[in-house]
Amino acid sequence: MTLTQPPVPREAAAPSDDPTRASAVAPHRPGRAPLAGAAFLAPAVALVVLLLVLPFAFTIYRSFFDDNGFTRSWVGFDNYTAMFVDPAFGQSVLNTFFWVVGTLVLPVGLGLAIAVGTWKLKLGALARFAVILPYAISGSATAVVWTFMLSTDGGLDTLLRLLGLDPLVSQWLLQWPLNTVMMIVATTWQATGACVILFLVGLQSIPPSTLEAAQLDGASGWRLFWAVTFPQLRPMTIVVVGISIVGSLKVFDQVLLLTNGGPGTASETLALTMYRETFTLSRYGSGAAVAVFLTVVVVVASYAYLRRQLRPAKD
Amino acid sequence: MTKTSRRVLTVVLSVTSLIWLIPSWLLVVNAFTLSSEYSGTPSWWPTSFSLFTNIRTAFENANVGQGMLNSLLYSVVGAGAAVFIASLASFAVTIMPLKRPTLWFWVIYVGTILPLQAFLSPLFTGYAAASLFDTQYGMLLVYVALTIPFAFFVVRGHMTGLPNEVREAASLDGAGWARMFFQVHLPLSTSALMAAFVFQFTWIWNDLLFGLTLSSSSNIRPVMATLADLTGNYSTYGPPVALAGALVASLPTIVVFFSFQRFFARGLNPTA
Repeated sequence: MTLTQPPVPREAAAPSDDPTRASAVAPHRPGRAPLAGAAFLAPAVALVVLLLVLPFAFTIYRSFFDDNGFTRSWVGFDNYTAMFVDPAFGQSVLNTFFWVVGTLVLPVGLGLAIAVGTWKLKLGALARFAVILPYAISGSATAVVWTFMLSTDGGLDTLLRLLGLDPLVSQWLLQWPLNTVMMIVATTWQATGACVILFLVGLQSIPPSTLEAAQLDGASGWRLFWAVTFPQLRPMTIVVVGISIVGSLKVFDQVLLLTNGGPGTASETLALTMYRETFTLSRYGSGAAVAVFLTVVVVVASYAYLRRQLRPAKD
Repeated sequence: MTKTSRRVLTVVLSVTSLIWLIPSWLLVVNAFTLSSEYSGTPSWWPTSFSLFTNIRTAFENANVGQGMLNSLLYSVVGAGAAVFIASLASFAVTIMPLKRPTLWFWVIYVGTILPLQAFLSPLFTGYAAASLFDTQYGMLLVYVALTIPFAFFVVRGHMTGLPNEVREAASLDGAGWARMFFQVHLPLSTSALMAAFVFQFTWIWNDLLFGLTLSSSSNIRPVMATLADLTGNYSTYGPPVALAGALVASLPTIVVFFSFQRFFARGLNPTA
């Protein structure tokens, strides 16, 4: 159903604010539609506008002020110019970019491989259980486990020594870019399960006859995957990639709990920079500027991606 | 597939699964270690059976138990209310002859696009001004608002896919909107409602950001925020206690997730 469709109601195609047309489509509808419609819509719209849209509008407004929480003075675009020349901000953008690329390659790529690889296998369910289990474990719990794995002389170091790989023992979370890479690995451990589930759902919706026809034509292994399975998975791939891009741009919990953006601000992502400016330094205006920048990036990225991908396939 | 490639695949998958299980194994084994005996490095095999001692420490000293009760309230009531409100709105934009359904769609859907951190500080200010800070109502309200947009996306998509005959049959009967919604569309959307509920239950249960920002006292704070305190307090309680707390706090989502999995897959399936 839903996630594979463009996020625009089908009514969008019809000029539905034309009352004659609306009544032509639904001649037997119960009356008083405008009033009843308002009653059905009101709770959702009120809550979203009041608690999400208005605060966000206030954030945009605040980004033009020098604001320490007590006094506020208009500074125009100063917060934005200050943000763009701050080297810590550049680092933060770079890290966020690493996250986007890293989570596309690892959780999404591995999720696809594991879903396709275990799909028809008898023991596949066991492998899937191992991969899906961490997805059900909470984010904070994941952070506890991985702090444990990656701390100096922690789980990973112990494991490496056990295997006689002493030269590889490192301070995993204390040097950049290793810490960002390891945090992406930790996220992969947790997030791959969700990708596997979504790809499995996608695989189940491929008509068996399509696969059989391809196999009769002599396609197997890689050829079968590239020529038939992967193209058939396209709608679900779009959803998974879309979710992954938005999620990685907004990544917060894992970094806060594993390195808190450190050492210094070396592993900060945009969400973390915004959080630090606002809540640690009480520079509400600068924090708001980072928030607005991050929002613009997320909106532009999802729009650009979805606009290209959600065009109806020509077949 | 040839015999060799099948064998290779099996080996690769077994190795991958084993690697994947290492952190889970470490979590469980070290949650069993007695805090005072903890050597500073994680152990690979259980050295004592102190899981329940550790859980008790976590519950008594870090309010994990109270946090779990709070989270249970927020997750069940919050996700339930959000799914219900979202299905009302979905019904309005898909079934009712509403003016500008696209506009209303975006007004609600935009909530999934905006980065959460962008609302955080104004919400904090607004909550302080409206005396909602550190209250159960306040937490419930923000969780409902945050989970409506995605639930709306899922349920709306499902209702869009309902066959036309269903809609027309109901309206020919002369049923009012409310009866149509409760007797026809809501029951027909069960799988989508379940999927949306599980998603949003898990989301609220795992939320850390809003729990940390909008609450401070232990009878309000959700469990993820209390767990974060426990992690930050490594020196006081030791890693085994933090791990035991994390283990217990993960149980509800694991149970909900695996028991609802069937609905989950059906509600998401484009062909279902």
